[in-house]
Amino acid sequence: MAAASRGLVSRLRHLLSAAPPLRSLSFAQLRSFTAEPEFETTTSRIIDPKPGVMAPDSRRTGTIAVKCGMTALWDKWGARVPITILWMDDNIVSQVKLPESEGFCALQIGCGQKKEKHLRKPEVGHFRAQGVPMKRKLREFPVTEDALLPVGTTLDVRHFVPGQYVDVTGITKGKGFQGGMKRWGFKGMPASHGASLSHRSIGSTGQRDAPGKVFKGKKMPGHMGVEQRTVKNVWIYKIDPARNLLWVRGQVPGATGNFVFIKDAVYKKPDVTLLPFPTYFAPEDEDPSQLEPIVADHGDIDPFMAAD
Amino acid sequence: MQSLYGKFRLVTKQTINSLKNVELSKVASTESRYLGCSINRCSGFNSDRACASAAFLLNKEFGTKVVSPASSASCSIVSMVPSYKGLSFGNQSASASFNLPTRKFSTSGSTPENVSAASELPPRIKFKRLDKTARHIMQIIDKEAVEEVKSNREIPEIKPGYIIQLKVVVPENKRRVSVIKGIVIAMRNAGLNTTFRIRRLVGGVGIENLFPLYSPNIKEITVLDKKRVRRAKLYYLRDKMNPLRKH
Repeated sequence: MAAASRGLVSRLRHLLSAAPPLRSLSFAQLRSFTAEPEFETTTSRIIDPKPGVMAPDSRRTGTIAVKCGMTALWDKWGARVPITILWMDDNIVSQVKLPESEGFCALQIGCGQKKEKHLRKPEVGHFRAQGVPMKRKLREFPVTEDALLPVGTTLDVRHFVPGQYVDVTGITKGKGFQGGMKRWGFKGMPASHGASLSHRSIGSTGQRDAPGKVFKGKKMPGHMGVEQRTVKNVWIYKIDPARNLLWVRGQVPGATGNFVFIKDAVYKKPDVTLLPFPTYFAPEDEDPSQLEPIVADHGDIDPFMAAD
Repeated sequence: MQSLYGKFRLVTKQTINSLKNVELSKVASTESRYLGCSINRCSGFNSDRACASAAFLLNKEFGTKVVSPASSASCSIVSMVPSYKGLSFGNQSASASFNLPTRKFSTSGSTPENVSAASELPPRIKFKRLDKTARHIMQIIDKEAVEEVKSNREIPEIKPGYIIQLKVVVPENKRRVSVIKGIVIAMRNAGLNTTFRIRRLVGGVGIENLFPLYSPNIKEITVLDKKRVRRAKLYYLRDKMNPLRKH
């Protein structure tokens, strides 16, 4: 009760102090319960879906994929490549955020399908308002202004080029309550030499009387996993446009069947001249089942012979 | 799904309008006959299995109402919806019944022809757990990879107890081809990652090698002899001194 009243008082004080500018901001902020668009001029921008030229500082949209699992393949030179298969299931632009309306440029991408009965009413309202089919997963990707796409644009797996590097974000698997060795990589304590009941313990947590406390942020045992993690510079080995599958090298966070988010790599930037910008626009008359998988180029130098 | 129900409502409205001309008592008397007709028609129409299932769904959903003799006009109409086309009852409802199977077809998309055409993809609108779908995709991809390797190279069947000779390219060693002869003591069947374990004697010392069966570095596999064994894993050969005495 006391906390509530204190919050109330502070809020009232804030309102009182902010009252004169609030009144001067016109009635635009007070019309929160109307469904009518406020100004027609705000939605007048028309985004043209046509291929453009990618500037070095432009940022394309990312995509949503489902982690299907891992396998291993042999490349052209007989080296084994650990592979994660990602499935870009029906990616579509579900909302465009513009500087004039939201204050920034971003694209909201939807992935998968969902039935209306499985969604809550506000979610259904969002899809209805945007005029896109119901989606299983939504994610917003900040883009630069030249990389904007209209609502309803489908994102193909050819948005990415085999051989480029991407960053893959996902939610890691839950590991439960873990000790310091597994959670933080502590060395533990000796197995012998008189160590008693403390082989995997974390050891000291601080100093003596001088601070007299354990510092905040001390690495200690605790819950591990179920965190958002980004694996950077994941190499795209192969794409399959017919089935919207993506073969990437190495691991990505999350369990099988989890959603991961793929963006162009920040550090190992792909060549801007090779990437389709803002995205790949499939020709109208193509047959999706006839498309062949595209494998990354492995170069002409045998890596095994070049080592000598 | 929602639009499907919307279609149902539309059909019901249209038929209500059309039935204002028809006597309601006549409809009630012939109602049971229509129901039977609809089931018959479905069996005749079962090239499109989805449509049949739609009709059965209808009958199941509204079956209780239809059976009751004092049924209202609306539920009798619903029971007749799939049977209209076969009976050529009214022209505007014929179009509605034409809409119904197509809509159902596109919703489920799980007819056998569709699945075989796009066998790699799971059915589109079906709401399954994603990890199951993902595992299914992995199985398909694994199978395809195995098929591809088998189509490119001839790989003989290998079992524990076979004495085989391998020609293996070692990329790390300047791509030299080494010939390895030994007995297969274990197989691990795991799709593309199927491996087998070969035991041989080199200079009086037993050596075991583990090879992926579908590796492109294995250039040739020849089966020299087939020993009859009664185990799947011949690890007991490790304890015997000289398993390759005869060769």
